[in-house]
Amino acid sequence: MVRRFVKAVTPGIVAFLTYVVFSGSIRPYDVVTGIIVSVVAGIITAELLVMSPTKALNPVRLLWLIIYGLYYLIIAESRAHFDVAKRIINPKMPIKPGIVRVPFNVKTDYAITSIANSITNTPGTVVVDLNTEKQVYYVHWIDVKAPDPKTTFEHISKMFERFIKKVFE
Amino acid sequence: MRKFLIAAAVIVIAVLASIAATVGGALGPLFNGVRSLAEFYLLNVFNPHNQTLTAMSPEAVTSIVWDYRGLDTLFETVVFYMAIIGCVSLHRGIELIRKRSEAGLSRIVKTVTKILIPLNIVIAASIALHGHLTPGGGFQAGAAMAVAPIIVIVVFSRFFLLRKGVTKEVALSLRSMGLLGIALVALIPLIAWVTTGSAAYVMQNQVKADSSFSFPAYIGGSLVSGSLIWYNIFEFLAVTFGFTIVFLLLSVDEETVRKVLGGEEHE
Repeated sequence: MVRRFVKAVTPGIVAFLTYVVFSGSIRPYDVVTGIIVSVVAGIITAELLVMSPTKALNPVRLLWLIIYGLYYLIIAESRAHFDVAKRIINPKMPIKPGIVRVPFNVKTDYAITSIANSITNTPGTVVVDLNTEKQVYYVHWIDVKAPDPKTTFEHISKMFERFIKKVFE
Repeated sequence: MRKFLIAAAVIVIAVLASIAATVGGALGPLFNGVRSLAEFYLLNVFNPHNQTLTAMSPEAVTSIVWDYRGLDTLFETVVFYMAIIGCVSLHRGIELIRKRSEAGLSRIVKTVTKILIPLNIVIAASIALHGHLTPGGGFQAGAAMAVAPIIVIVVFSRFFLLRKGVTKEVALSLRSMGLLGIALVALIPLIAWVTTGSAAYVMQNQVKADSSFSFPAYIGGSLVSGSLIWYNIFEFLAVTFGFTIVFLLLSVDEETVRKVLGGEEHE
């Protein structure tokens, strides 16, 4: 029971922030009702969302998440957008589309989901399916350089996985 | 070429029609100013100086729905619950069994969905708890909250929801609690009438010309608009679990339903 309350802390904080932002005000009424609602929401979803409370409350992991967010939004996204934009503008349209296997070396749901969403959200690559036993994503790639796992991992998800491992694994 | 001509004709007609409607006044002159009925509500929904006519809520729609025409809303709510009771009685005898195998969609979809559940809860609760301040209210909040069970049914499985304790019985009791809460808030003025002897009306919110009863408009300095916040909270509870029951029952496969409702064959 105590463990459940500890687990509820992280979803509760996220819930409270969402409540305040959605309500758009931070008067005493919003804070009091927000705390009540967030505690309820946190306790209801604690077991579903949090496996390890120490991991969820670790500030080093949060710091890595922020660093990854900055890397992803500033560097990875710009690079991918620029690359796809070049292919669109080029009159020869140099694309070589295909679906390739991209291996991953993480175990937890959050890590698998984050890498998959990172791949999908960058232009040029979309995760269409995954196989958790074989530990591969099936990714539609706009410019297949080579279909072997080493090349695809190197080009598509190596950097994502490096950061995600520090955040979720 | 013919397709192009048709498309061009449609565009020209659309542009001419919109010019006629906006500039030419083809739809007649627009009404300027505020009608007297609207003026009454705008003046009185939040008016501490005229306590016998005010609902003490800046949200005119919620004031009208739960105060000025409160009984109408009460009966609308009853109609909605009768519909759910009809659905439940149609499905009588069908047991919502818990199965071990839960397929659902991929792990990625499941993970993203489960993160959204607490956010769904707080956003719906915010709509309910701010119903007397901003557009929204109990029914809207309940409808928003009901997104959570339907998404879980689609992404995880109906059996997942049942295993997590959201069963038909639980949903029915919570829905009934919401409904009882609404009835209680409507009847609290009568309790005041019995105990103090001063006149009071069913579903009364603020003081009236011949009744001194009033729900507190402020709690701890925060505006709660008397009975309106309580109606919104209980309606939120009742609508959320009303929809949940319907979703649970509708997700039962046809074969199971027919096995129970089909009756027996007689020679």
